[in-house]
Amino acid sequence: MRTQIGYLVGGGLKENFRVRLTVSPQEVQEGAFVVIESGNWLYYGIATDICLGATDPRFADEQSADRFPPQIAQALHGQTLYADLEVLPILMLEIGPEPGTAEYRAWRERLSEEPRPLPIKHIPPHHAPVRLAAEGDVFEIFGKPNETNFVIGYTREQKHPVCLNLDRFVQRSSGVFGATGTGKSFLTRLLLAGLIDRNQVSVLVLDMHNEYGYDDIASDTKQNVKGLKSLFPGRVRVVGLGSGATIRGQPPDFNLEIAWSDLQPSDILMLSRELDLTDTAATVLDALVKSFSLHEWFDRFTALRYEGYIDEQDEKTGKTRRVPHPESVEAWASENGVHPAAAKALHSKLQRLRNKPYLVEQPAADSVSQIIKALESGQHMILSFGKHETDLDYLLVSNLLTRKIRHAWEKKTNEFRSSGPNAPEPRPLLIVVEEAHKLLNRELASQTAFATIARELRKYYVTLLIVDQRPSQIDDEVMSQLGTRISSWLGDEDDIQAVLSGLAGRQALRGMLARLQPKEEALIMGWGVPIPLPIRSRRYDDAFWRELLGSSNKRSSSHIMKELGY
Amino acid sequence: MSQPIPIGRLLRAGTTAFVAGCRVNQGALPSFGALLRIPLEESYQVYGLIYDIHIDDDGLVRQLVTAESVAEEIVRDNRERRIVPVEMSVLTVGYEQNGRLYHLLPPRPPLSLDMVYLCTPEEIVRFTERLGYVRLLLQASQIPIGEVIAAHFLQVQAAHPDPQWQERAIHEIITLLRDDYPRLMAVLSALSEAIR
Repeated sequence: MRTQIGYLVGGGLKENFRVRLTVSPQEVQEGAFVVIESGNWLYYGIATDICLGATDPRFADEQSADRFPPQIAQALHGQTLYADLEVLPILMLEIGPEPGTAEYRAWRERLSEEPRPLPIKHIPPHHAPVRLAAEGDVFEIFGKPNETNFVIGYTREQKHPVCLNLDRFVQRSSGVFGATGTGKSFLTRLLLAGLIDRNQVSVLVLDMHNEYGYDDIASDTKQNVKGLKSLFPGRVRVVGLGSGATIRGQPPDFNLEIAWSDLQPSDILMLSRELDLTDTAATVLDALVKSFSLHEWFDRFTALRYEGYIDEQDEKTGKTRRVPHPESVEAWASENGVHPAAAKALHSKLQRLRNKPYLVEQPAADSVSQIIKALESGQHMILSFGKHETDLDYLLVSNLLTRKIRHAWEKKTNEFRSSGPNAPEPRPLLIVVEEAHKLLNRELASQTAFATIARELRKYYVTLLIVDQRPSQIDDEVMSQLGTRISSWLGDEDDIQAVLSGLAGRQALRGMLARLQPKEEALIMGWGVPIPLPIRSRRYDDAFWRELLGSSNKRSSSHIMKELGY
Repeated sequence: MSQPIPIGRLLRAGTTAFVAGCRVNQGALPSFGALLRIPLEESYQVYGLIYDIHIDDDGLVRQLVTAESVAEEIVRDNRERRIVPVEMSVLTVGYEQNGRLYHLLPPRPPLSLDMVYLCTPEEIVRFTERLGYVRLLLQASQIPIGEVIAAHFLQVQAAHPDPQWQERAIHEIITLLRDDYPRLMAVLSALSEAIR
């Protein structure tokens, strides 16, 4: 149904278009996806504001409805009072002359390729009719739902499905934002289910709160929410941190244990705040690596005695003195020219790590390599932190694991690049980071492996999906690198600004973001979407699961047929 | 078609307005806001709308007004045999030439002593079908425009079978006067009286 809602009365590319509404202002919402039709072109934009106007302010001031009979009042209001829609123009598309005419055929012949939506460069003339986008327009811009185009939500007015191109989505790091309780983790689940179903990238979820693997109970509706493991039992593996860990009462597919030898000084320095390290820690760590070795320092240092003295007899004088035990921190410190107090402080703080059950001298299996192998072979991993939910655990494990993974992918990419086109292309990997501000805040951003990944884009086939409620706490450089951003309602001015950093039309989007419904509405924007658009997000419910599983079954049968040679 | 009703003769005329006169005691007295026509030739006539009716005095009336008592015969005599006419000021709102109506000022004004006729309902319907003449009405600055239009509305209402006409006319008025708030309000207030 193509109903006109108004006509163009002014504006331009710098300021927005002004559209005189011919329908009641209550029929159009902020953020509506509108189409302006003129000649051979379609122009696409979103409504950023609706304002009331009058040809003379006095017409608006006076409540003339009381003074005049209804027919006069109606006519008067119709002609002197109006509502203007402000439209942010974004794309335009050449549609050519009326189909079926000779001009149309001539135009088609001249075309070298199918016209695509282009960034807007010229504007329609005055009085061009404006309408709400129909389903076909939404498909034209966001794509038709298919294997690549995943329905992420629906337009708010007419409920047309809005798709996200998953292949494009994973080409750059992206983010899901929103204040607590706005459905952020549902959106993330939805996206991950789509990505796992599409199966073009491997997904590693750093699941700090054990939400994604197994079934969960929604905090507000108290309904059962299917976990990704239950949706895709064959493709998803749940990893529990520490041996014997159980996740929501279920044993994980395998456990992650980290060898002491894997700990590097940089991992420790990153925990400065959590471990309350002093500035001297870096010097001590340097000396430790020099004195022991990169692989053994942690074990050997933390095995030293904190204190201990022995009596030593001086050979010349024959007197006995108390000297530090040779196995003590103090002895090591004086031997290596390190301030004993600094060494002792670090030693006592590192004991906290030594006591972590998931950090062991000899892991039962090389679980880090297992994770990497599984990801390489196309499995999806959910790393559940189990009961190790402190920031310390999260920072340490995520960073260490990510560093190793990135290293593995970097190696593979370099092999692939140097060995020519016949080598297998590394499988793209998407790392999902919950509570991202903990790892990517301004203090840490330069030290963690995540910031590196966010900055290099897809050079090494690894991208991030950042999930966070305080985007303003995340390093600006990381935020500005994010391709697709999906944000639910945000209240804080700084957070809104952070989410919109580096986007065109920020001013208009800001209001839209602040006025989203607190639940089930989200704004999709950024590099991965053609037009920033507020949507009513798709529900992560029975219907979705059925649809998803139905489509993957269909595909697998067609795959089997292909494999059989049909 | 009803018989044409003559109501007087032209006294003086200009392009935008003219004045006609008639006897006080004649059968059909003109009314405020009425649509008139003055045929000049076979296929040329001018249309106008009465916006003022006045009666001048003379020396005799002045004297009689101050008299102690005036006999009934004298009053009747004065009215029936008076040589001072009832004067109607008329605004030109269009003309007709060779069967076509123009809502424009006429090329030539009517001449003195031309017969002035009251328009019949059919003629009113025909003339007011299009609304271009409203512009000419609203351009006149010296007349009580709200009242004239209200009176005109009442007459058209009586003659017109088209229920949409009023709505169209109101729209036209608002469109033309949109930028003149005080005048528009005055006209609409008067109209509210007429169509309430």
